[in-house]
Amino acid sequence: MAKPRCDPTAQFFAKLAERSDEPLLRKAKGSMRFDVVDGRRTRRWLVTVDGGELAVSSSNAAASCVARVDKAIFDRVATGRLNVVAAVLRGDVAVEGDWRLLVRMQRLFPSPPRPRRRASG
Amino acid sequence: MSDGLVKILDGNTFVVSDSRGDIEASRTDPTGLFSYDTRFLSRWVLTVNGERLSPLSVDDLQYFETRFFLVPGTGTVYVDAKLSVIRQRAVSSGFHEELTILNHADKPVTLTVRVDAGCDFADLFEVKDALRKKGRYTSKVERRKLTLGYERGPFERATAITATAPAQFDSEGLTFTVKVKAHGEWTTEIAVVTEHIGSGQSPLEHGNPKRVQARMRRNLERWLAEAPRVVCDWNPLAATYRKSLVDLAALRFSPPIAGGRALPAAGLPWFMTMFGRDSIFTSLQSLPFTPELAATTLRALGDWQGVRIDDFRDEDPGRILHEMRYGEMTAFEERPHSPYYGSVDATPLYVVLLDEYERWTGDRALVRELEIEARAALNWIDEYADLQGTGYVWYRRRNEESGLENQCWKDSWDSISFRGGSLPGFPRATCELQGYAFDAKVRGARLARDIWKDAALAEKLEADAAELKRRFNRDYWVEDGEYFALALDQEGRQVDSLTSNNGHLLWSGIVDKTKAKAVARQLLGPRLFSGWGVRTLAAGEGRYNPIGYHTGTVWPFDNSFVAWGLRRYGFKDEAAEIAAGILDAAEFFDGRLPEAFGGYPREQTKYPVQYPTACSPQAWSTGTPLLLLRTMLGLEPHGEHLVVDPALPRGIGHLELLDIPGRWGRIDAFGRGRVETGRGRARR
Repeated sequence: MAKPRCDPTAQFFAKLAERSDEPLLRKAKGSMRFDVVDGRRTRRWLVTVDGGELAVSSSNAAASCVARVDKAIFDRVATGRLNVVAAVLRGDVAVEGDWRLLVRMQRLFPSPPRPRRRASG
Repeated sequence: MSDGLVKILDGNTFVVSDSRGDIEASRTDPTGLFSYDTRFLSRWVLTVNGERLSPLSVDDLQYFETRFFLVPGTGTVYVDAKLSVIRQRAVSSGFHEELTILNHADKPVTLTVRVDAGCDFADLFEVKDALRKKGRYTSKVERRKLTLGYERGPFERATAITATAPAQFDSEGLTFTVKVKAHGEWTTEIAVVTEHIGSGQSPLEHGNPKRVQARMRRNLERWLAEAPRVVCDWNPLAATYRKSLVDLAALRFSPPIAGGRALPAAGLPWFMTMFGRDSIFTSLQSLPFTPELAATTLRALGDWQGVRIDDFRDEDPGRILHEMRYGEMTAFEERPHSPYYGSVDATPLYVVLLDEYERWTGDRALVRELEIEARAALNWIDEYADLQGTGYVWYRRRNEESGLENQCWKDSWDSISFRGGSLPGFPRATCELQGYAFDAKVRGARLARDIWKDAALAEKLEADAAELKRRFNRDYWVEDGEYFALALDQEGRQVDSLTSNNGHLLWSGIVDKTKAKAVARQLLGPRLFSGWGVRTLAAGEGRYNPIGYHTGTVWPFDNSFVAWGLRRYGFKDEAAEIAAGILDAAEFFDGRLPEAFGGYPREQTKYPVQYPTACSPQAWSTGTPLLLLRTMLGLEPHGEHLVVDPALPRGIGHLELLDIPGRWGRIDAFGRGRVETGRGRARR
């Protein structure tokens, strides 16, 4: 199936920005920055959470946890095709700061696609 | 130690060596320095003038440090020891070894002291399954440092070796050329540091080794001082209790996310990680002694509660994890442990632990803090675990390649069988799972009513629990045997062998009062009770084997819950009988109960036969004497009070448990042995 060129990383953060209240993060407080490296360009998203209230911005502000990752990798994480914890263990995602926040944030990534339930193509 | 190996550890960093302190690991051999499920040293051999050393003695100073007294030579006759070598080793972000050589001769000597070092960087799973590495090895020799490395794409691990005394480093170790004066000594400190490169800042903090050891020593002293004290006429019980406390301290593990707090890891050496089931059972056992373990377990497991549908990890929303791993195979998704969710008991048991924790500690704040997690766990039972739509908890792995076939505590491939020995198909609904689900609903109802102030949920849970109990007592009851079937198979047929699971059913409260007596009789009858404890599978069943992992051995942890279950239904003497058998066995193992021992009749072997590859110390075996103490003393929180109702084996004599922590502050309990025990064997 031909699809228009898409940017899963940008789509993921755009959708995240629409979720203002996130029950899975009700206990998290802090900000996490994703530095997504695309060739020579790095795009940054700052996700701030306080009692389930989510805010997403493009910002270079300091954060309690920073994850640095190649865009090709993050595109897979953003679509559920790569588990972010495995990616961290592998060294594909470099994490600095509050690990607990990362454990919270990993809940935001989607389930992997289930081939059995999907039409082919 | 029984296997001749010396083990020291701190959390999930541990060293397993021979009694000389040497490590010569093969690919399948669990010796070496391990951290975060990766081997960081597989070779570490000390020679003096080219000669290997012989051990004179090994001092286990603490669980994290040990001292080897050695002499050169490996002959079997007397060694003419003009030299002695002391190797003192402590675990701290790798390990730290102080090497001292004493010259007893009246003239100086010049020695070549060599340490061979090497590493295969095996993932623990590779050691277990003898798999080959996919990455490449590196080594970097500097003037004062040797770094052994391993790379697979972005995945990098390294071991850095340095020494305080001048040494010559090469790619396979380091050599000291040493002059020791007459009656003099020479010493050096060698540091072996594990490095996790490529994952940014490591969650494993490196500290100054001396300071880390001093902190660990203080921490262990405080741990022992804060636990209740045991005073007992029967000395082995006090010794077993102390051993359990020290081992439990050793098994504490602070996952990177727990803010420095600790929960019980499952066991050394394979299981120094967070396990849902093991951490929960051990927390339940140790609640009256060290309730903070339960609090950390609940928080950490809550943090990792499932949120997605992920077939590879057998994850569903609300499900509590089974096992977390950090090694290479997990990182490359060759194993699903990041984390893996393939257990069906951890989720209901999570709610059971939360309620039991509050009953002991009165910590309502934690129950409120974990309301979302507990509700999600209760929801999982109905929404995701009832694979057949019959109102029972079932399991069938979705990860056919590396997932677990049996997702209950008896998780080996042949643990669930019919009387004749054949294996049922999937999904399976083992009986104890229904008991745990029942108990989770009953306890969840209490939490909902009293703390979350949700009367509607409480009523629904109570109604569901009553209905589950009614159906269970009808569908699982084996009429011609008077016990509960081990499981239902996919057709709804009873998997009809007689097992220790019946004791867990008593513990859960799902058993109709009218059936309890028959169940107790089976548990203490000759087919299940060996004289030491209750067998996993009854003698006479098709697959019964006294050294079959889950098909005939006696598991101390299993028995502690069986005893608790008997107590719950008022069978005090029967509970004391089991406690007596297991505590007697503990004496044979120097106070450290193994994971499992043989199911041979007691009068036949006279001593408990250790299961060949059992892992030790293992958390829930370590917790067993604690739960048996609770059971024998009949400790039960009742509102703001602690009820004490002792029923002790006569051989124990007078027993005091002092300073039991809880919502009442601190309380003492006393008892005197009055129960005659010794079925199935001659009385002592």
